[in-house]
Amino acid sequence: MAAEAHAAPVHHPTSTGTDNRKLLMWLFLASECLFFGTLISAFLVFKARMAVPPFPHKREITESLYSTLPEKIQEQCATQLANGLRECHGILDIPITSTSTFVLLGSSLAMVLAVYGAQHGRPGMMKAWILITALLGLTFLGFQVYEFRTFGSEGLNLATNQFGASFFVLTGFHGTHVGVGVVYLLSLLAASFRRNGLGPEAGFHVETAGLYWHFVDIVWIVIFTVIYLIPS
Amino acid sequence: MTTEHHEAGAHEGLGPRQYVTIFAILTIVTAVELALSYSHIGAVLIPLLLVLSAFKFVVVVAYFMHLRFEPRILNRLFAGGFALASLVLLALISLFWNDLTHPLG
Repeated sequence: MAAEAHAAPVHHPTSTGTDNRKLLMWLFLASECLFFGTLISAFLVFKARMAVPPFPHKREITESLYSTLPEKIQEQCATQLANGLRECHGILDIPITSTSTFVLLGSSLAMVLAVYGAQHGRPGMMKAWILITALLGLTFLGFQVYEFRTFGSEGLNLATNQFGASFFVLTGFHGTHVGVGVVYLLSLLAASFRRNGLGPEAGFHVETAGLYWHFVDIVWIVIFTVIYLIPS
Repeated sequence: MTTEHHEAGAHEGLGPRQYVTIFAILTIVTAVELALSYSHIGAVLIPLLLVLSAFKFVVVVAYFMHLRFEPRILNRLFAGGFALASLVLLALISLFWNDLTHPLG
């Protein structure tokens, strides 16, 4: 009797008809929409007003502006056009970022399969796909680190120009969220190896982690389009 | 008792095969976006990219996050936050629209 009572999860009745913990996660994600919404808004406002390289995409500048630039950034604007302007190549690497986008998309599939495993009493499936999700998340972070270091070596950092400031803040915060998500998933994975695993509410715990992870993915869907695909 | 307990989400009927199908669709749409970004289709590029991104956004929220199968309060909660964020975006763009012709450093 006591063992049965301990095994069955207790669902407290709520006025909303849904578990308060799930409600809390959705409320948190709604607030995160606002958080990233403001960062994306700031990026879009600055994107339209950029005048000093490095630029995200190909752009022209005057010779007089070119002469004021540091040598490292002048290398990006080496092409002189017939109209007297200088063409600066865009700093963004679309192929690399596209690969990382597919990696993050794949991690969302892995996460939803982990949730499926947890909700259908398949702990092996759950653990395997949680691990794969975490590994794909780490791979994405690896791509981000590579990109940040490449940009740094080409003269773009937080203090360089408006693009640098808004880009690094936006993608930096997103990367931090991915990092927190990886820690969250690895903690769940570690807990699943305890004697009682994640307990009778394993499906709920993995589902909640899944909500956070998918949100991180959909934020990247917006960031990828706004920053990388839409031309200046 | 515990075997009778059904976890939330287990009733929707979405299995691994459907999730893989959804993932394939998302991958194809992303590839289309990429191809479009390299094309020179003019002014229609940006609205097209936004529509495709919005489609991916809705699909992930509805099926991967299961919002389509959740109680209405959760739908309203998330939609409310998203709507507010969209309004902030529009307000910021509107506020600075007239300044867009004056480049900053």
